Amino acid sequence: MKNLCKFSGQPKFENPSLIVGWKEDAGKLSPKVIEYLNKKIKSESFCEMEPVGFFSLGGVAIENDIAQFPESKFYCSERNDLVIFRGNEPQLEQYRFLNAILDVAEHYCKVKELFTISSTVAPIVHTSSRRILAIFNQQQLQQKFQGYGLEDMNWEGPPAISSYLLWTAERRGIPGVSLWPEIPFYLAAGEDFQAIKLTLSFLDKRFNLGLDLRDLDERIRDQNIKIDQLRKEDTEINKYIGMLESELSLSGEEQMELTKKVTELLEKRE
Amino acid sequence: MGIRLYKEPEFENSIMFCGWPGIGNVGMSAIDTLRRVLRAEEFGEIEPFDFFYPRKVRIEKGLLKDLEFPSSKFYFQRIKERNLIFFIGEEQPTEGRTRYAEGQKAYEMANLVLDVGEKFGCQRVYTSGAAVTQIHHTVKPKVWAVPNNENLVDEVKKYENTILMSGIEGRSGQGTITGLNGLLLGAAKARCLDAVCLMGEIPYYLQGAPWSYPKASKSVLEVVTKILDVKIDLSHLDELAERVEENIEELLESLYKAEVIPPQVRDEIEKLRYARPTEPGPITEEEQKKMMEHIDELFKEGGRKDEKPL
Repeated sequence: MKNLCKFSGQPKFENPSLIVGWKEDAGKLSPKVIEYLNKKIKSESFCEMEPVGFFSLGGVAIENDIAQFPESKFYCSERNDLVIFRGNEPQLEQYRFLNAILDVAEHYCKVKELFTISSTVAPIVHTSSRRILAIFNQQQLQQKFQGYGLEDMNWEGPPAISSYLLWTAERRGIPGVSLWPEIPFYLAAGEDFQAIKLTLSFLDKRFNLGLDLRDLDERIRDQNIKIDQLRKEDTEINKYIGMLESELSLSGEEQMELTKKVTELLEKRE
Repeated sequence: MGIRLYKEPEFENSIMFCGWPGIGNVGMSAIDTLRRVLRAEEFGEIEPFDFFYPRKVRIEKGLLKDLEFPSSKFYFQRIKERNLIFFIGEEQPTEGRTRYAEGQKAYEMANLVLDVGEKFGCQRVYTSGAAVTQIHHTVKPKVWAVPNNENLVDEVKKYENTILMSGIEGRSGQGTITGLNGLLLGAAKARCLDAVCLMGEIPYYLQGAPWSYPKASKSVLEVVTKILDVKIDLSHLDELAERVEENIEELLESLYKAEVIPPQVRDEIEKLRYARPTEPGPITEEEQKKMMEHIDELFKEGGRKDEKPL
């Protein structure tokens, strides 16, 4: 662990939980939730994992004009007894990477519960209320979270990194839940503030954080106004969104068109 | 990273057969058929975690039930005083960049397989794969054999319907065996362990096809059963081969009709139908390249799109 991780602090915890978010996610949900959370609870970085062996490091990616570099950092809030991990999904040696996260969490921080945050794209309309779908790795934990408004799900298919982490945690006896807030498919390339707020509200309730999320209300309102304006200007888009509001499904072509127009609209810099 | 053994057969002087997926699934299908027909018993596995990303998660009523990884399993059987070990790998560890194994992970897996083989007295390893060549799909495939040391050459020459690389026109004994079916030969050589790769011929225009090519697997099995001096019922492979051949004929016919395959390419493929099996292919490499441009594109379009992970 010492070779993989660089520690820059020695935080003390009592009974902490670990929240894991990834830097890339549909609707930017995972990175934004972690960013907001870190800012609101004033958490500080105390440990960083080395990228060698987990990322190809064959150069750097450029996103929005800026050169990027893989980051895998742990943050802490001693006051709230929280450990937060934010990182890029590893390209190589995923099992070793996930175990390295859990090594820090278990042996260094004595983490008792794991929460992962990733969005799931859904055929829903942006004006509808979002759901948080949840996957637990232990039944006792699932029972403990009844009353939090989480929705059970059935699914079989390729696993995302969050599911892989949840499974790895289960093998080590760490109870955990993966939170999968729904994102309207046409907001996947942008930011879905409503889903971000819903996720933060869940964490607020679970950990009594006292988060002030009013700024997110403003962002939701602004985004909805922009999309309303687009509906007024574009009859096709208005029709597609209307169909989604009436719970009618769109064809692949219609979905593409709606996604393209909304993404273009939200990407416009003010 | 490790090996899990559930049983330890009391084996000495064993022979090991290894199969991984590859072109037309020729090798894996041959080895796995032999394992099934001989009712070999599973006795261990290589843990998948360091080699593979899981391929499936199962979630029921909000509970994570299972994560499924590609398996890499060992089996054993004793037939006519011969101790046989089988290794079947459902996938080759690729490190995310290539279709076939290469680099450190591949070498690690090859050595784990050989560790188990040597633990149970392995004296000889056979791997199997496909030899992409200019034959028609109606022709009985030969088996290309590549031993990992000179002492095996005379023995290999005696195998029926088998050819060494030096016997293939234009190759001068040279070639490459991609992936673990080849790398294992090298890793065995480094341990002074005898190994032979048996490759069933597959028409080059089917190398990108998403289905298996049982006709070549059968050719490999004919060689292997002779080596082992066992008779096994291969009728199901015959039936499968017949069906695949019908499908290929139908597909090619429909593509010719729809002019998806240009007449020139069609003529080249049809030339192969009448080439004698021992003849070198009638098509130049340049022509083959041109034909593959059309045919590979065709199979690519039929590829399945990945589901979104969760």
